[in-house]
Amino acid sequence: MMSSDTGTPERSARTEDTRTSQRISPTVVTVATIYGLVLVMILASRLISPSFGGLSQLETILYLSSFLVFCAFGQGLVILVRGLDLSVASVITVGGVLSASLMDGSNTGLLHVIPTILLACALIGIVNGIGVTVFNMPPFIMTMASGIIVYSLCLGFTGGTPRGFPAPAMNDFMQARVFGIPSPIWLLVVFAALGTLVQSFSSFGRKLTAVGNNPEAAYVAGLPARRLIIAVYGISAACAGFTGILLASYANGATLRMGDDYLLPSIAAVVVGGSSILGGRGTFLGTVGGAMLLTTLSTILSALGIGQGWKTIMEGGVILLALILLRNQVFDGLRALVMRKD
Amino acid sequence: MTDAIRGRDRAPRKTPLISIRYIADSAFLIVVIYALMAVIYVAVQPSALSAYSIESLLNNSLPLMLAAAGATFVILQGGFDLSVAGTISLVNVTIAINPHDGPGGALWVLGISLAIGITVGAINGFIVAYLRIQSIAATLATMIIGQGAALIILKAPGGSVSDFMVYGLTGSVVDRLPFALVIALCVMAFWTVYSRTDAGRNLMAVGQDRKAAALSGINVRRTEFLAFVWAGAFYALAAYMLAAQTSTGNPAAGTPFLLLTFAAVALGGTAFGGGRGGVTASLFGAATLMLMQKVLFSLGVSSFYTGVIQGLIMIAAVLFASAVNHAARPKGHG
Amino acid sequence: MKTTTKTLALAAMLAGTTILASGAAQAKTADGKWLIYLSLSYSGNAWQSEAANIVKALAATPPFNETVELVEVISGTDPQAQISDYESMIANGADGIVSFPISSNALNRVVRRGCNEDVLFFMYDGTVTESCAYNISFLSGGFGENTAQALVNELGGKGKIFLSRGVPGNSVDERHTDGAMHIFNQYPEIEIAAEYYSYWDDRTTQQETAKALAAHPDVDGVWAQAGEFGVIQALLQANPDRLVPVTGENSAGFRLALANPDMQAKGLRGVSSGSGPAQSGFAFKIMMEILNGQRDALPDGQRNIEYPLPWVPADAVKVCEGDTFEEGCNVFTEDKVPSSFVSEVFNPELLPELSLISALDGLPTPGATIQPLPAEAVKLAPDMPGINCRGCDAPANLYELTKIEATVQP
Repeated sequence: MMSSDTGTPERSARTEDTRTSQRISPTVVTVATIYGLVLVMILASRLISPSFGGLSQLETILYLSSFLVFCAFGQGLVILVRGLDLSVASVITVGGVLSASLMDGSNTGLLHVIPTILLACALIGIVNGIGVTVFNMPPFIMTMASGIIVYSLCLGFTGGTPRGFPAPAMNDFMQARVFGIPSPIWLLVVFAALGTLVQSFSSFGRKLTAVGNNPEAAYVAGLPARRLIIAVYGISAACAGFTGILLASYANGATLRMGDDYLLPSIAAVVVGGSSILGGRGTFLGTVGGAMLLTTLSTILSALGIGQGWKTIMEGGVILLALILLRNQVFDGLRALVMRKD
Repeated sequence: MTDAIRGRDRAPRKTPLISIRYIADSAFLIVVIYALMAVIYVAVQPSALSAYSIESLLNNSLPLMLAAAGATFVILQGGFDLSVAGTISLVNVTIAINPHDGPGGALWVLGISLAIGITVGAINGFIVAYLRIQSIAATLATMIIGQGAALIILKAPGGSVSDFMVYGLTGSVVDRLPFALVIALCVMAFWTVYSRTDAGRNLMAVGQDRKAAALSGINVRRTEFLAFVWAGAFYALAAYMLAAQTSTGNPAAGTPFLLLTFAAVALGGTAFGGGRGGVTASLFGAATLMLMQKVLFSLGVSSFYTGVIQGLIMIAAVLFASAVNHAARPKGHG
Repeated sequence: MKTTTKTLALAAMLAGTTILASGAAQAKTADGKWLIYLSLSYSGNAWQSEAANIVKALAATPPFNETVELVEVISGTDPQAQISDYESMIANGADGIVSFPISSNALNRVVRRGCNEDVLFFMYDGTVTESCAYNISFLSGGFGENTAQALVNELGGKGKIFLSRGVPGNSVDERHTDGAMHIFNQYPEIEIAAEYYSYWDDRTTQQETAKALAAHPDVDGVWAQAGEFGVIQALLQANPDRLVPVTGENSAGFRLALANPDMQAKGLRGVSSGSGPAQSGFAFKIMMEILNGQRDALPDGQRNIEYPLPWVPADAVKVCEGDTFEEGCNVFTEDKVPSSFVSEVFNPELLPELSLISALDGLPTPGATIQPLPAEAVKLAPDMPGINCRGCDAPANLYELTKIEATVQP
């Protein structure tokens, strides 16, 4: 999609540096920094309101950012392989609309309905993937066009008003607490763990990283790049559908704009979380941190009451700051500065 | 067919007019698509050729055409510019709170608009070229900042635009020659000249192969920077003509342009990834998108499913353009 | 006409909810049918689809089913697209355009041009500042200030409140909020703890309210625009045993909640007001009466018509047994409509021809015929600069309370 960035030193050959400071990888530093920032923000927000800075705020942030996290996982994988998924918003809507109409307010057949919805969404993603790999469509255009098509189909299918309710069991799940912690947060933890495992520690994830890092080399090495990329788009759409199901269960209904708030934030969360938008670098744990950072920021800015314009400017500014700080060169320099002991 | 052009990597100078290479590299394809659509439109809508119809269609299309022209500069050298939405909103509201009468006032407002657009473009260019942040992420951030700034300047649609701008700039120079058309032709002329200058050629070279361009002595960073500046200037122009057409300021004026601009550029055949295409193609791509709306209306397709048709046409057009381009390239060139 | 064959052939291929145009420009006297366009912009929520449905239902009700050709056009949220579609409608010889305009200013030029071509423009809910267009809107009824006063009354003049707004940068949201702030500013002990944008969407409202509750769990009341049912859901999720006074618009979920004894026991009080889709039917009927000569056209510049502001306090909520608003009932139950159903889609005085299938499916009520509007139904609305007029001034009593009086003095 984009020509490679050849001016940065990290891509050129470097002799092995065996000092102790080099054993801490930049990835770990990135992820640690993001979570550190979230913690600092939560603690500092106590200055704004006495109810802030505590566990209940953390709980709300985790709960609300979970939706963003689920769809950002898929987006992160797509970005890892040098792609972009702009159909996320529409597929979330599909997930929500299908939940409401297929479940239709009853618990029967729930175990069939949910996989059906996920499969339907995955199919949309697979079409995206085929367009990008087989037909060489630019991901921006392919996913944008498929998003428009899918949204339009939803609009026609519902006639403007999605009818029906998700199953009561789903709504109960979203309200339930296990050991005092809301179940969606447990879901978030499990999802984050699995996602990190898949993206960073499984052979699937390593293959994706290789494809994203250098598609030609991956191809030469015998990796089925096409199949991997198609699978990744399918996963992204399935994640978006999953997000839609949960959102509809949370609100006990679906609306046609339910996905709109998640498209650009999913990209922002991935980017702020330290993934390179060029592909080939990034961890899901970082993305989760990025999602939490953005949600925390939004909550705090709303509480400050500074007006929508300033709030928007600051959110954009934070993303920009994160981008600037997370460039590898900055990290190399910082690390060299701080840890030069050997 | 490919034998005749195999081994020739430079842009052909004296090839016969209709070679596959020429079709792939220029705006030829999109002009044909546009012409076809225009024929369909005239066939189903008899009043399409009236002076007023032509004038209003061109007025309606001009903002998108200018935005697509600006985005093309960035895309040609291999980048992305999402900040189109933020810049257009920002310039649009600034115009609306600064009404100045008469042609002199319009010129003054134009100056302010271009200043803002160029500044935003320079900021983008600096971040991408010199801070080396990837363009899609960087411009996503600047777009959000731009939209926030627009909201601060004007918190709800309002303001006013001078009558000269609203009625003069959207009128016609002579019968059936709308001012909008004159502007579009000027942009085309500008691009024809610019693409033949060193700066223009550098743009294409950087897009085609960054490393090779750097090795051949092109200042890649400056080329990148300039691309964003040009883009910003054109977005400002788009916002200016948008203000003239809508006679009002709107802090969300730029939002529809975000996806439409890239759809227009893609439709025009400019390759995402750089090195192929041009501003003229994007102008026609935008014009085709706006014409498509008219055609769909006249054919009675204006329901919920319009999006399906628009999406399919977009995919088809890009597929077609890339297929033609694929046929034009000698085998072995990816 | 050759265009008709082409249009019909293509229409057969395409799915959709459009009723097709019969072809090119037709003068009213040529075949007697009025060519009316129903021009929507945003169409992805219950309010919009109900508003469109009742116009379709009215157009299919005798005698309009014989005399009116209704074509639905959806332009999307881009003002340029609606401008382009208006141009096309004018070029096609429309007699009237009933529309939800996406912008109060951007469409003015094309509307003026249409007026010059003898096209009647009737805008519902949204307004345009072009003086030749008719604006039928509840906006001047003072939703913001009246509901704000109701909330203040419930809170006894003091407490922490949230403001759940609409879409940032939108004039309707600004007008509502300005009206509300006019009231809240008079009471120094009313503290606005949080203000957020909910985009008139239930789910977004729920999420944003949840975020605000994280900071201020001890909120005393919420002033909300559309999407207000999400406030209730967020409150219940944060604390299943506690609700607070909430004022909002008229979703079925909210109205039923107001009347629900359990919720009342937890502390829910309030008023259901807001924007009703019935405005579209009202606009359509006025337009048809003018076209048919049954009502005089209003002079240019005096075409802002006020739709009466719905006002249903908690104790006035009454569940409907049948399929329409009768015997003073004003909300339908969950088995008939989803919670996001916008209740004020009926009006027994102005629109007796409508029933649930009109609002839900756009079908005419069996056996109904178009009834004339009461003579005094058309009331003029005050000027609201930038909203329904330009170069005008707001009257001094713009924020005057019309539905409620202050029971607590500032």
